[in-house]
Amino acid sequence: MLLKLLRRYELKALAFLLGMFVIVTAVNPSFMSAESLTNCFNDSVVFTLLAVGAGFVILTGEIDVSVGSVLGISSAVAATCLRDGGSLPTAVCLALLIGAFVGLVNGIGVAVLKIPSLIFTLGTYGVARGAVYVYTGGAWVENLPAWFTGASHSYIAGYLTWFYAGVVLLVVAAQILISCTHKGRNFIAVGDNINGARLVGINPTQTKIWAFVLSGVFASLAGILFTSRIGFITPMSGNSYEMKAIAACVLGGISLSGGLGTLVGAAIGAVIMTSITRILVFLGLSSNYDNTITGIILIVIVVVNTVIQDRAILNSHREISLKRIAKEAFKE
Amino acid sequence: MAEEDLLLEARDVVKSFGLNLVLKGVTLTVHKGEVLSLIGGNGAGKSTLMKIIMGIYTADKGSLSICGQRLEGAITPSRAMKAGVYMVPQEPMIFPHMTVSDNVLMGFRGNKADLKKRLSEVYKEIGCTIDLSRLGMTLSIAEQQMVELLRGLMRQSRVLILDEPTSSLTFDEVQTLFKIIGDLKSKGIGIIYITHRMAEVFEISDTIGIMADGRITLNGPVSDFTREMLVNALLPETKKKEARERTPIEKKIRKAMPLIEFDHFSGYGFKDISFKVLEGEIVGIAGVVGAGRTEFATAVFGREKPLGGRVLLDGTDITGLSTKEVIRLGINYVPEDRHLNGLFGISPVASNITSALLNSKLTGKGGFLNQASENSIADRYIEDFRIKVTSRFQEAGSLSGGNQQKVVLARALATMPKVVILDEPTRGIDAAARGDVYGIIYKLREQGIAVILISSDIDEIIELSDRAVVFCQGRISAQFPRSKINQENLTAASFGVYKEDNHAA
Repeated sequence: MLLKLLRRYELKALAFLLGMFVIVTAVNPSFMSAESLTNCFNDSVVFTLLAVGAGFVILTGEIDVSVGSVLGISSAVAATCLRDGGSLPTAVCLALLIGAFVGLVNGIGVAVLKIPSLIFTLGTYGVARGAVYVYTGGAWVENLPAWFTGASHSYIAGYLTWFYAGVVLLVVAAQILISCTHKGRNFIAVGDNINGARLVGINPTQTKIWAFVLSGVFASLAGILFTSRIGFITPMSGNSYEMKAIAACVLGGISLSGGLGTLVGAAIGAVIMTSITRILVFLGLSSNYDNTITGIILIVIVVVNTVIQDRAILNSHREISLKRIAKEAFKE
Repeated sequence: MAEEDLLLEARDVVKSFGLNLVLKGVTLTVHKGEVLSLIGGNGAGKSTLMKIIMGIYTADKGSLSICGQRLEGAITPSRAMKAGVYMVPQEPMIFPHMTVSDNVLMGFRGNKADLKKRLSEVYKEIGCTIDLSRLGMTLSIAEQQMVELLRGLMRQSRVLILDEPTSSLTFDEVQTLFKIIGDLKSKGIGIIYITHRMAEVFEISDTIGIMADGRITLNGPVSDFTREMLVNALLPETKKKEARERTPIEKKIRKAMPLIEFDHFSGYGFKDISFKVLEGEIVGIAGVVGAGRTEFATAVFGREKPLGGRVLLDGTDITGLSTKEVIRLGINYVPEDRHLNGLFGISPVASNITSALLNSKLTGKGGFLNQASENSIADRYIEDFRIKVTSRFQEAGSLSGGNQQKVVLARALATMPKVVILDEPTRGIDAAARGDVYGIIYKLREQGIAVILISSDIDEIIELSDRAVVFCQGRISAQFPRSKINQENLTAASFGVYKEDNHAA
């Protein structure tokens, strides 16, 4: 029972999203338009990339709270480069290098130095955010080239943007990586049972470092899309995005203790997180409720999951100790 | 046997952890198609030896060759596996969220389809019946072991180490496992079989190795051994003589009043436990690790749900009460692992000693703590128990093991209990502190407290107990009065081979 439920977690998340759409439409029929629906997806590109990146780390049983700050610093650097006449490849490369570097530092801190990931990435979160202020001098980065900001509004078909299509491709690629390649499977194995992973010859240190590097790279990629969509960068850009990214992972069925979940799930979770804001508008609620409602949904889902899982584990332990003393075992 | 049949050879392996010499020069060989049973008490060094063979620990001295290939330098688990050994650990390492086939194939490189094909061949070979698409978390221990065996066979291991594989299996599952072991044997795979169960040894092994105190004391074909020899060989050299005369103990059991009584008490991990403890009596509970003793204690203490039977304290039924209630009624439990369950490491010694009193005696007007009485209680125990501290404000975590144990004991006793359950009270503490702890336990007895002493150290049971109860696989296998508590009887009963008539052996 439980297993089937867990396995189809992505489907449940998708059903939850559709349920939300139906309820909003019932309250406010004007929500049900092709444009408004596709925009729920188009708007989710930034969170999707952040969530998929963080998803790699969470699958290994660690956590990365620095992704919002990585988005901040890499978008500030990329935006400045573009504003000053740099080419797109230069800007993108700079951003990705920054993301990979912060991820590498995180990975070494957590996997090699064995610092708890929450503490270590909280540190890099602060450092990266501080770097944005230092780099920009606290000023906004504006006047970006129109070809760059316009890119976020180019459509592949109907109301669907090129950006979203690209992100979907990336998500699928990432999912194939973790479910179909042996290197990718290592992420899940390490999160599922780190000692077991060691025993079958997987190197957990290397695997975790890779997870953090990928997280950093995805966060900086998110930074580039963010810059194009918003059109300017402030020192606070991407602030507190990490919370939404992590929440998206959990909503999409990735277990915070690692080893369970899919990146596709995280991507669906990201759409849910983005849609909540949009839906509140259509429900006539102030966006002030945004964080509260997101928080409540998150808590309910996590509590329900934990209770179900703990039950299963406790029961299996009890079953084992009962079997141990079962009558036939006592024959000597 | 011929030289080319030699699969594994460990020669003069020495290993110490700190000052503790665990392996004192062990030599061990396994040949093709041989099942070697390795027997030994807790702490004899079996697990350490196996971990060295698997490359999890590095030996201080000695050499290791696997399949004729001598392994030099640092051995890692992946090197050992490549050379052809695989260990099925006592608690299998399963990925709970993965399917059976993913669990087996994890860590392999190469074409998935090829791997799957090989898996299905190996799977058929050993007659495995587990649905390959089931998730790891749904597997029973027996099935988890099957997965581990598959992992080993997929790696084309020539030597399989099975670490107490039957300790959590039912009878039928054990038979299935033995059949598979027979098949593997006929394919020329060598097996090291670690167990606590004498009967199994004679059922499946070709050779027997007995480990005691970091050495292999006896090694030879199974036909050279008898059950009695095994029990005898398990005793440390010095203890084979008559159990030493004990200090006067018997004199002081005052009233023959059962203070606490267990009546067919059952729970998760133990069943049908019936015995009584009198006022001022020490009852030792002996048995091997995993015999259900700790589970029994935690169930009495209200931490696990009981499944049947009764616990009577002073004649009143206290079965299934909460921990808080149980403490209030006068039972206290000092857990086995003081770091995990007992001590508040970064709090001062005084707060540790009085922490069990916070609900009652210490609380003064308006819910504030009465500092003066906290200090006086703490000082009394520090002096009584000879706890070595710089002051009562020293951090408890900075004390030595023995003194930490005294602090935990003091905390339990500060509640003025009628019954105390001590779970391995002297594990990992030095001889001097051990003497002090014994002194404390004797003092409890004089005060008329009923003491239930759980210990895997047979000497400790012999030294302290007025009566001994022996657990084996979750049940009581024997009970001994003071006069019959000795190494032979306790060892035999712990391994489930005690018979009324062989106690004189």
